[in-house]
Amino acid sequence: MRNNNVSYLVKKGISSVWKNIVMSIASFSILLVSLLQVSITVMFILNANIIMGNIEDTNQIAVFVKDDENETDEQHEKKVAHIRDVLMANENLTDVKYISKEEAAEKWNENMDGEASDLLSMVPGGNPMPETFTVRVTDVKNIRFTVSAIQSIEGVEQVNAPYDFANALVNIRNAFSLIIVAMLVVLILVSIIVISNTIRTSVFARRNEITIMKYVGATNGFIKLPFFVEGCFVGILAGTASWGLTCFVYNSVSSLFGDNLAVWQMFGFFNLIPIETIRLPLLLANCVVGALLGAVGTMISTNKYLKV
Amino acid sequence: MVDMKNVNVHYSSGVDALVDIDLHINDGEFVFIVGESGAGKSTLMKLMLREIVPSTGRVFVNGRNLSALKGNKIAMFRRTIGVVFQEFRLIQDYTVYENVAFALRVADSSNKTIRQRVPYVLNLVEMGPKAKHKVRELSGGEQQRVAIARALANDPGLLIVDEPTGNLDPKHSYELVGLLKEINRCGTTVVMITHEHNLVRYFGGRIINLDKGSITFDETIGGSDYYEE
Ligand SMILES: Nc1ncnc2c1ncn2[C@@H]1O[C@H](COP(=O)(O)OP(=O)(O)OP(=O)(O)O)[C@@H](O)[C@H]1O
Ligand SMILES: [Mg+2]
Repeated sequence: MRNNNVSYLVKKGISSVWKNIVMSIASFSILLVSLLQVSITVMFILNANIIMGNIEDTNQIAVFVKDDENETDEQHEKKVAHIRDVLMANENLTDVKYISKEEAAEKWNENMDGEASDLLSMVPGGNPMPETFTVRVTDVKNIRFTVSAIQSIEGVEQVNAPYDFANALVNIRNAFSLIIVAMLVVLILVSIIVISNTIRTSVFARRNEITIMKYVGATNGFIKLPFFVEGCFVGILAGTASWGLTCFVYNSVSSLFGDNLAVWQMFGFFNLIPIETIRLPLLLANCVVGALLGAVGTMISTNKYLKV
Repeated sequence: MVDMKNVNVHYSSGVDALVDIDLHINDGEFVFIVGESGAGKSTLMKLMLREIVPSTGRVFVNGRNLSALKGNKIAMFRRTIGVVFQEFRLIQDYTVYENVAFALRVADSSNKTIRQRVPYVLNLVEMGPKAKHKVRELSGGEQQRVAIARALANDPGLLIVDEPTGNLDPKHSYELVGLLKEINRCGTTVVMITHEHNLVRYFGGRIINLDKGSITFDETIGGSDYYEE
């Protein structure tokens, strides 16, 4: 086909989106919901996998030292030494490391690219960062037992075992995956049905023209191309919108996570995938899947109603 | 140009629309096909357009066996013939120009060809001045001319016109046949389907009469110089 005629048919397909605006909006909306769900699910799973990978790699448990204002420095040092001794003595633990308040502040500041120092200096009552020990578990199977053992050491405020979190994450992910996959199948089917109905409306509106085209010698491709353009165009619009919304949601959620879990981030458990690295692939994926769904919907209608 | 051998068309409704048709039309001929309503005239046209294929027998147009054409070969074949339907089948929302340009575009012509060819065929049917008018604003006779212009757009070797005078008063009918004769003189084979015997008698030429699906008359007669209304 000549370029001038291809561009003519592409324009025709796009103008058909506006002529058929009610149906186009219906297709757009349902596609947007489907694509959005896919995008957000994929983002969740990708990040969950990364977080779990981090957790499994480090095997770390954070032990928070109780902060008592009434004790003397000497008493405090004694308490810390006692905790260290007990931790060292536990056969199930290795790599016992002490992180003072100052070190914690420094580390956090590093993670935040130096932006945390101002923040920390503004806190009344001095450095708010916790004083901690990090330890590694040698045998994961004993984790619960080990954690409760640590918890019972005098002077220990709290024990954070990311394994609990990892397990929760796995459970959430698995439960979600099932529901999401089921919903996804339904949404995608509905999307295709709505798109194919939209295209059918377009085919119907142009039925006279199509009959005439056939008699003056239009090829199948010539007749079908505008409808494919219409379907794919709506798909790409929905893909772009889904991408924008996903980026927005992802940004909001990751900043939320970042604030509440600054401490965890400090230990390096929480490195969410930065939005910058996935922005472009996410856009491409959304548009390609949108266009693909549009094409499938169009194929169904044109095969069924065009009988060329 | 057109060659039919032993053609039968049996519609699934049980009607035998055409029975044992043997027909040969040479390049450059002008042929009237006449017959009562339901005689099978439009069916004959549908065969030549490859809208339908014969139940038995063979139809050749330009040496091509139409039953053997499939898919886009049918489209390519149709570009070589021009058809004017009884109901015109123009796109009402398009202008006169766009309707003709459409046929060229469908046949994958370049923009340059379209710009040259559309005014040419519109002037041929004297519709040049109305090129920018919407089809819905035109009279029946004007629409007829646009339909002819569109049929001529791709410079077809064969022009088939079904009941072109059905919507016209006698004066315009005679003018229209005059135009078709003119087109024929320039080398295009013309098949005109009609039930107006007066018109046929006036112009003369080869006349094929269909009756209940069979050819009952196929002769060339001389024209007369007067016409009855
Ligand atoms: N698609 C079809 N299905 C079934 N029967 C048909 C079909 N088209 C035409 N027929 C029948 O075939 C016969 C011939 O029809 P055709 O349209 O060829 O007649 P015609 O000579 O063109 O008549 P008219 O002058 O009224 O246009 C008629 O009896 C008609 O009812
Ligand atoms: Mg007829």
